[in-house]
Amino acid sequence: MTTPNTAVKIGKLTLRNPIVTGSGTFGFGPEMANIVDLNKLGAVVVKSTSREARLGNPTPRIVETPSGILNAIGLQNSGVDNFIAEKLPFLRNYDVPIIVNLVGTEVADYVHLAEKLTAAGGVHGLEINISCPNVSHGCDFAVDPVLTAELIREVRKVTDLTLITKLSPNVTDMVLIARAAVDAGSDALSLINTLIGTAIDIRRRKFRLANITGGLSGPAVKPIALRCVWQVHRALPNVPLIGMGGIMSATDAVEFLLAGATAVAIGTATFVNPTAATDVAAGLEAYLVENGINDVNALVGAVTQ
Amino acid sequence: MPHQVFARVLSNDPIIAGHQVITCDAPSLAAEAQPGHFVNVLTAERSDPLLRKPFSVYTVDRDRGQISLLYSIVGATTEGMARKRPGEILDIVGPLGGRLFQADPRPNAAHIMVGGGYGVPPLVFLSRELRLAQSEPNITFIIGARRKDLLLCEAELIAAGVDARVATEDGSHGISGRVTDVLEPLLLEKSGLPVTVYCCGPTPMMRAVAELCLRLGVTCQLSVEVAMPCGIGVCMGCVLDLTDGRRVRCCVDGPVFEAAEVKWS
Ligand SMILES: Cc1cc2nc3c(=O)[nH]c(=O)nc-3n(C[C@H](O)[C@H](O)[C@H](O)COP(=O)(O)OP(=O)(O)OC[C@H]3O[C@@H](n4cnc5c(N)ncnc54)[C@H](O)[C@@H]3O)c2cc1C
Ligand SMILES: Cc1cc2nc3c(=O)[nH]c(=O)nc-3n(C[C@H](O)[C@H](O)[C@H](O)COP(=O)(O)O)c2cc1C
Ligand code: FES
Repeated sequence: MTTPNTAVKIGKLTLRNPIVTGSGTFGFGPEMANIVDLNKLGAVVVKSTSREARLGNPTPRIVETPSGILNAIGLQNSGVDNFIAEKLPFLRNYDVPIIVNLVGTEVADYVHLAEKLTAAGGVHGLEINISCPNVSHGCDFAVDPVLTAELIREVRKVTDLTLITKLSPNVTDMVLIARAAVDAGSDALSLINTLIGTAIDIRRRKFRLANITGGLSGPAVKPIALRCVWQVHRALPNVPLIGMGGIMSATDAVEFLLAGATAVAIGTATFVNPTAATDVAAGLEAYLVENGINDVNALVGAVTQ
Repeated sequence: MPHQVFARVLSNDPIIAGHQVITCDAPSLAAEAQPGHFVNVLTAERSDPLLRKPFSVYTVDRDRGQISLLYSIVGATTEGMARKRPGEILDIVGPLGGRLFQADPRPNAAHIMVGGGYGVPPLVFLSRELRLAQSEPNITFIIGARRKDLLLCEAELIAAGVDARVATEDGSHGISGRVTDVLEPLLLEKSGLPVTVYCCGPTPMMRAVAELCLRLGVTCQLSVEVAMPCGIGVCMGCVLDLTDGRRVRCCVDGPVFEAAEVKWS
């Protein structure tokens, strides 16, 4: 059998395989480039970038819970100007689409970021984080379809890069927000961001995170993430989805593709196994070969009852 | 460069109550590891606990391609390590750490190690490397423990000819008190020489040592202990605030810092 096709399309981007990195779990590239070959990934999605540098939340910022972690990093990053000057030149050396995750508190912040990153060159896609649960007002856009639509419409006006809206699971109806984002010009959707939770130390009788609440990720969230992908895919079957939440193995990745994701992101798994993303890419290809599937796109949404 | 190793366990023996030394076949780690490096170990077969846990490299045998870790059994990962039999596999990522112990290069330098609990093993490694690099380095090793039965590595240091001094909180061995009670007079004793203190242990101990060294104007390197969710610089979960206002990652920007750099919370 010939090598199966693993390439997928997300908006204008062609990814060599459906495996991308989860924002905030892969740094800005240099840290991981020593460990994995970035050119074996579908795309690199970097940590959320804001207008000004942010120090993030006090520590402890990450605690373990059963089969998962709660994080309240608070979007620590050195700001968009530093990203363009210090981080992007390194990433330009690689033959892999670079997707920058943007975060802000107002529409104007996102518009400013999108303009700068589009002009910078070497950025291929923008992932709009409307859903970070760890900063005050961080969820304002994500829970409101009108605000989401307004935000995406304004960003769309200033960029022709592939636009991906990252959805929060911490809402009543994800499909409503998904549709609003797509109608306003989002080319694709990422889901899910982390689920808000907390943990308590009964010995000290204190919250375990300094921030009290944090976002849950890892295998604990996988069934919920899979359900979200399936729901959004069913409602918007033509919109490419990047599925994520607890993907640790190629088996998990195939589940997300079957539920309707066109690509998948590896997040927390990288903390446990630094080569998780490229391992999953290799495992997915092996699955295609073993099952005689000649195009990975044939898996997308192919689950049956 | 950090990489994953499925290392075959060669031995795994208790040394004192609740503490064991596990030795593994890991040539690539043995070749790269330097004092201050740590490795991240995973023992859970499924995802609970999900994260790896950090352990300092204790001994390295570069000829045989072996490394060992000295660990205190406190939770799921270390219990999993304690269950490993020779021949079984230990899942390790390493070597980790960006900034390591820097041996004071001055020829007549006095090197003072101050270790407590599982902070002792990386300093034993450092003393050994110093002895390999220099003939007759001037090393004094202060070991702190709550009680005599919790004291680590004293016999092996003495056997290696190191001037080992002990402080136990209950006075059951060595002098009665804390490591700083040994360190302060020792610093006066060495006052004619260039001195560097290297310290690793529980945070309150390191803080006391750091403050003493700053007060006496002595250079002091600390290997800080904070949770390391990823160990490779990508999660931002291990940050430490420095006196210059920077918020750095202990895993790749440390774990060793100068005492004057650390802002204690
Ligand atoms: C750079 C570095 C080097 C290190 N080197 C060594 C070394 O050489 N040897 C060594 O023995 N250790 C070392 N440690 C410490 C070691 O990594 C930790 O003790 C590790 O957490 C042990 O893992 P575990 O799964 O066995 O225990 P864990 O389950 O992680 O428990 C660790 C401690 O946390 C407490 N704890 C667990 N869960 C909770 C909870 N829900 N709420 C409150 N408290 C809780 C436990 O009671 C225990 O005291 C090092 C740490 C660092 C950062
Ligand atoms: C430590 C940590 C930091 C994260 N930071 C960001 C971030 O900056 N921006 C963002 O959009 N998502 C962030 N995420 C969410 C992940 O990208 C991903 O959506 C989520 O963790 C679910 O996937 P996983 O279970 O595979 O980790 C972060 C997750 C973790 C664990
Ligand atoms: S442990 Fe993850 S960045 Fe340091």
